[in-house]
This record gives sequence, structure tokens and C-alpha cells, in this order.
Amino acid sequence: MSAIVEMKSMNKFYGTHHVLKDIDLAVTRGEVMVILGASGSGKSTLIRCVNGLEMYQHGSLVVDGFEMPVEADRRLGGERELAQIRKGVGMVFQQFGLFPHKTVLDNITIAPMRVRKKTREEAEATAMKLLDRVGLRAHAHKYPGQLSGGQQQRVAIARSLAMEPHLMLFDEPTSALDPEMVGEVLDVMRELASSGMTMMVVTHEMGFAREVADRVVYIDQGSILEIGQPDEFFDNPKNDRARSFLARVLKH
Amino acid sequence: MIATSIKWTRHNLFGKPFDVVLSLLVIPGVLWLAYSITDWAFVSAKWGIIVQSLRVLMIGVFPADQAWRAWTASAIIGAILGAGLGCVFSFKPHHGLVLLLVPVLLLIVHGGLGNALPATGTVASTILGWALTSYVPLSRKVLPAAAFTGFIVIVAIMAPPGVGLWGGLLLSVLLTLVTSVLSLPIGILLAFGRQSRLSSLRIICTWYIEVMRSVPLILVVYWIWILMPVLAPQWGLADVARGMIGFTIFYSAYVAEYVRSGLQAVPRAQTEAARSLGMSEFDINRSIVLPQALRVVVAPLVGNVLDIFNSAPLVFIIGLTDFLRAGQMILANPQYGDRTFEVLSFLLATYFVIGSMITYAARKLEDHMATGTR
Repeated sequence: MSAIVEMKSMNKFYGTHHVLKDIDLAVTRGEVMVILGASGSGKSTLIRCVNGLEMYQHGSLVVDGFEMPVEADRRLGGERELAQIRKGVGMVFQQFGLFPHKTVLDNITIAPMRVRKKTREEAEATAMKLLDRVGLRAHAHKYPGQLSGGQQQRVAIARSLAMEPHLMLFDEPTSALDPEMVGEVLDVMRELASSGMTMMVVTHEMGFAREVADRVVYIDQGSILEIGQPDEFFDNPKNDRARSFLARVLKH
Repeated sequence: MIATSIKWTRHNLFGKPFDVVLSLLVIPGVLWLAYSITDWAFVSAKWGIIVQSLRVLMIGVFPADQAWRAWTASAIIGAILGAGLGCVFSFKPHHGLVLLLVPVLLLIVHGGLGNALPATGTVASTILGWALTSYVPLSRKVLPAAAFTGFIVIVAIMAPPGVGLWGGLLLSVLLTLVTSVLSLPIGILLAFGRQSRLSSLRIICTWYIEVMRSVPLILVVYWIWILMPVLAPQWGLADVARGMIGFTIFYSAYVAEYVRSGLQAVPRAQTEAARSLGMSEFDINRSIVLPQALRVVVAPLVGNVLDIFNSAPLVFIIGLTDFLRAGQMILANPQYGDRTFEVLSFLLATYFVIGSMITYAARKLEDHMATGTR
């Protein structure tokens, strides 16, 4: 049982605002971890720290064997570790983040070609396989603007997978979608989880969390209040704030 | 038909008392103006002077017996511009007919082939270039290289009689082309420099841009003209080259500001997505941010080209004879002293036509760049 992500008393500030407080968290390989919490609780910031989109100030964060430099070191140029980490960590965003001026196929092949130095043929073959996997082979030559939200998010997942990541981060992947498209994205994520991918998922989809997660983390005001098995967490939360959070989100 | 037009007139021109007064004043006024202009243009005006001085207007004081060099150059420029247009906007035969109007008109007015030949050559090569890139997409790939070679050929072919003799509309167009092409990459670098994390680079770029934007173009051109021989006496740069450098230095700052506004319009999420894929900052800027930024600023950038073309007359300050100056030279001849209106009208019309063509091409370019957006 080896940890792919290990945070030890990690702290993050925005100016004087203390966003993440003494986070201790380890993600095991092959694990699906769902992070829950109200908006503004710091859950997105937490996973954005994992691939270095956000910087942290104190403590330590080891991702895939590489020590993520703290802010002070990154200002002095700790970019090499960062590039190493990012190669192995995929991320899917709320707003998809597809490149609007490139076709679906080019969106998927650009990083493998530029970063992993694959040939166009190799990259395109992989891309087509991944598009098959997310059910979008027929849309390879369209532009993102011609696809629905759900299709765009599936392309974004395929794009991340093309880099053959060891870890996938999902930052509210279904929050910007129309309700009828949420299912198709969750299906892809479910399939990904069952294939053994390590995933950290920030979501408001409680059904998905309960069904797919190996562990659930509840964050409030920048602190981890509860970590546990999903059934345990949802049926019998120990923390008062977790209980009232669940009461609010599960009411409807 | 008549009933509807009467109704339309009543509704739109004579609807309220104030409209009636306005219509009664404006309509006869416009009719009188139109009549006077037509009367002057087709009856009183002596357009012969334009035909006689066409060579001077087009190529300035370039020696008459060497004029073929200049005409070849303008044919090459035509081919390059046509080929560029063909990349974004497909050629149709009726475009060719419109372009051919120019030499046909010359032929009718002048009644001789000799004077119409250069115009015919330029128009023909424009059409050829346009049709080539429109119908043979493969040729677009070699266009940058071909255009560069074409430019070298232009310089080589026009240099022997003396670079100081370049002039007329040809000089204006060359100045505009060189400045536009050179100021784009420099402006892009300045725009990125202004956003750089290295504070020294950021300060230098910001200063450069702010200084250039707060001084007049004519001053920069004059200053560079004086300064270049002091800084690099061994180069012995010609006035034309020094003028182009001055223009490029000045307009790069404006390009930089347009590009910067485009860079800021690219959502942060784009950079974050590219970063999370492990792409280097250089790759992100080159392949993700810059293409999207440029797409946003096509219109202002083309406006900038138009601005350069319309500012070209300022090179008179360093003794060059551009299109406008060539017109003044003709009028300086006492023999033609009474043809001021004819010459100035011709200049005005030509500037207007070229300016309109640039904005027209810009619209097509914008349509072309809109791929992938709904």
C-alpha cells in the first residue's frame, strides 16, 4: 500500500486568509477519493495544489514520488519538479478548458506530441482509442464549440488520459452541465474508476460519491473534519457540521 | 410600386413638420452637390494630367528608362498580396473583372497600350496569385517562403538605380508592407515581455511601449533617420531603410498594445488546462494563448496596417517621395498649377480605394479566423 499523494500539515494562505489548515491526507494507488464540502470550504484549492495550479506555503506535499516545492521555492524556480509531477497527473475542470481553436483530435494529441514527444501517428492512434472509450469517435474532427457540454467534458477526460496519468483530479466535473448530461460524464468516470485509476474527485454528486468512492473526505473552512468509508459517512456522520451539510444536500 | 414609394417618402421624409423642413433643405442641397461634382468630374476636369504623370505618381522619381524594374516589383507585390488574400478568401471570376477595370479604364482614357501595360501586369499577377492559392491549397504552405523570396527579388531588382530613388505609391505600399510584417513579431514579443515574470524585462518593455505611444510618429522617424548613421555608420543605411526602421520601431509599440489586449482576453482556464497537461510555458503561449489572442485582435491589427499606410506621407520629413509627395511634385510644376483639384481628387480616390480594400480583406480574414467559434 503505497501513497501516490501525501500531504503533511499542508497550509495555504491567500494573503492573510488561511485557506487550507494543517491538511494531513494520503491517497493510495488505485483509490477513488471523493472530497465533499460546502462552496468556499477549500476543496477545489486542495486538489489544485496537487498539480501545482495553486501554491502552498507550509508543510509538505509529495505527488508520485516528487516533492512539490512550496511557494517560496517556486518563486526561485522549482519548475522541474512541477513539470515532472504534471506529466503524471491529469486534471478535469468544471469549465472543460478545451482549446476552442483546435479540433477535438488536436486537443487530445497536442500534449502527448509536445510533452511526451510522440509522433503524430502514435498520438492520433491513442486519441482515437480514447475517443472510442468515451464514445465520441465520430466527433474527432469537430471543434469543441460544436459539441454539447457533456460531450466536451468527455473530450476533456480523454485529453487528460492521453498523457497516461497515474492520478486523475476532477474539479466539479459535472457542475457546469445541464442535468441530462451529468449521467454520461459520470458513466465515463465510473468506468475509469473500475479500470483502477487513482482519482481525487471534488463533486456535489452524492449518489456518485456513495457508489464509487473508496473513501470520502469532508472539508469545512479549510480543515478536514472527517475521512471515512462512504456508507459510514453518509449513514452515520460523526461530525456535527458534516451532519448538517449532509442534511442540506440530501434533502432534495 | 409608385404607391409604396410615395408612402415611404411621406412616412420617412415628410412625417413631421421638422422632417419636412429638413428634407426641403437637404434634398436639393445633396442634388446640387452631386450635380456639381459630376459636372466637374466629367466636363470641366482635365484628367489628362493624371495619365501623363501616372509614372511619377506610381514610382516617384525612379528613372524612366529603368521603370521596368519598378513595374516588375509592383507585379511581384501584387502576386504576393493576391496570394495572401487567396488563403482566407476564395477567388471568383467577377473579382478579376472588377480588378481589370483599372487597366481597361487607363486604356480607354489614354488610348495607348504603353501606359496601361504596368497596371495590366500588376493586376494580372494579383489575379494569378489570388487564383493560385484559392484553387491549389497546397501552394499556401510555401507562401511565406515565396513571399520572402519575392521581397528579396524586389529589393535586388529595384536597388541598381539607387535606393534613394524609390518613390510614389510603390514606396508607400512597400513601407506599409515592411512595417506591418516586421512590427507584428516585434509587437508580439513586446506584449509577452510586458507580462513577463522577469521584472527587468517587464519594465523595459513597458517603458518602450509607453514612450513610443506618447511621442509623435514623425519625430520618431526623423530621430531614427538622424541617429542611425551615428549608431551604425559602417552600415551606410539608405533613407528608405531608415524610414522603415523608424516606422517599425514606432508601430511595434501599438501592435504590442493590441496583442496585449488579446492576451488578456484569453481565459485563465485555458492556461490552467494547458499547464495541467504538463505543457511548457513556451508551448502554452505559442500554441494555446497566442492563436486565441490574435483571433480577437485581427480587426485592430488590420486597422493598424491602414494607419501605417495613411501615415506613410510623413516620410517626406526625411526627404522621401511617397505617393502624396509625388502628387505635390507634379503640382509644383508651374505648367500644371491649375490642376490642383484633379491631382488631389485622384490621390483621395486612390487612398480611399486602397483603404477600403484593406478593410474588406480584414473582414474576410476575421470570417476565416472564426473557425471553431459558434
